[in-house]
Amino acid sequence: MIAAELIRTYVTSLLGTWGFALLLHAPRKAWIPASIIGGVSYTLYIALLELGSPEAAAMFIAALIGSLLAQLCARRMKMIATIFLTLSIVSLVPGLGLYRCMEHLGAGRNAMGLQAGVTAMIDIMMIALGVGVGSLVFRTAVTRPWAAKG
Amino acid sequence: MPVGESRYMEPLQLAGRLIMENGGETYRVEETITRMGKAFGLERVESFAVPSGLFISYCRQDGDNETSVTRVRKGSRHLSRVDAVNAVSRQVEKGELSCEEALARLREIAGKPSHVSRPMLILAAAASAAGFAGMFGGSVVDMLISGSVAALVEVLTHVLERLNLRDVVSTLLGSLFSALLPMLFHRLTGMGAVELIVAGALMPLLPGLAMTNAVQDALRGDMVSGLSHGLSAVLTAVLVAGGALVASAVMSLMGGAPV
Repeated sequence: MIAAELIRTYVTSLLGTWGFALLLHAPRKAWIPASIIGGVSYTLYIALLELGSPEAAAMFIAALIGSLLAQLCARRMKMIATIFLTLSIVSLVPGLGLYRCMEHLGAGRNAMGLQAGVTAMIDIMMIALGVGVGSLVFRTAVTRPWAAKG
Repeated sequence: MPVGESRYMEPLQLAGRLIMENGGETYRVEETITRMGKAFGLERVESFAVPSGLFISYCRQDGDNETSVTRVRKGSRHLSRVDAVNAVSRQVEKGELSCEEALARLREIAGKPSHVSRPMLILAAAASAAGFAGMFGGSVVDMLISGSVAALVEVLTHVLERLNLRDVVSTLLGSLFSALLPMLFHRLTGMGAVELIVAGALMPLLPGLAMTNAVQDALRGDMVSGLSHGLSAVLTAVLVAGGALVASAVMSLMGGAPV
């Protein structure tokens, strides 16, 4: 049951990221690999939550892995990392959380709105941190053979 | 066409401006300018870039400094252009392109229409919103509604672009419609999980790229650019939130239980 849910999550997040790749006018050959990475990031996030990980930790790990895969892919495909980095995390951006925050605030439920807002802000900070740490780790490891230019 | 060493300025300016306008990071702009300048044989090439402008200077053989200031306007983000400029810069570095050839290639990149056509963009917006609505747990119906709303908003953005109303107005109106249409649809038909549909439709409007760039800039020590990109991301998020907020206020005014 959980496996079916994860497959569904993977396919939908991949579709979402694919659309985003086109919206950002990413080069054609980056569309598929970038969507695959975007799907992996979000599915990993959901899988970690299922395993009982706290929200912030799951977001950080998902962003970190997404960022590492993105940079590895950029290097192998000899393209700029910006393309893959941006697309690896779009699925993680807490759109639902931000919307819930606004919805509650608009209806005057300030406490609930703030709670949703703070959670969304922490998610954003965790994504930022994950991408940042991912970049640092990758730059340190960049001389290793598995990260060599393809 | 400038002669002598002045002719090197234009390709440097154009390369920097193209990367910055199309969503590249600040360090990439500075690095590209410096590397290309050195490859052209220039000495003491310095560049300083912030999201709204570029400063480039190099030393001429007669000892004078050649300096330029380039204003950068926020463009539509074309990541493939950033990639193309990067490829030109690499070729210049390898000595495969002369200054004139590089300039011609850069002008070609600047003038070339995107490989993603307008109908493709509408399809992409729909796919993206539908995908994200499903990702948040929405049903197939929710995905279809979210995709249709995002496609309509993409058409609206195009119309606003033609009227020269960009960024602020299009983000605000885009998020307003992304939230209002599913709410109205739900009120009329009782179908769809509004929250998931709206969140999916809003995703393409959220400032993911500005956010990533802000973090990258700050981590590399480009604090001015980091702050600038960060503020731009916050402003966009506030506009998106504002649009959605107005939509729920409108629905409350129309009476009935809030959705």
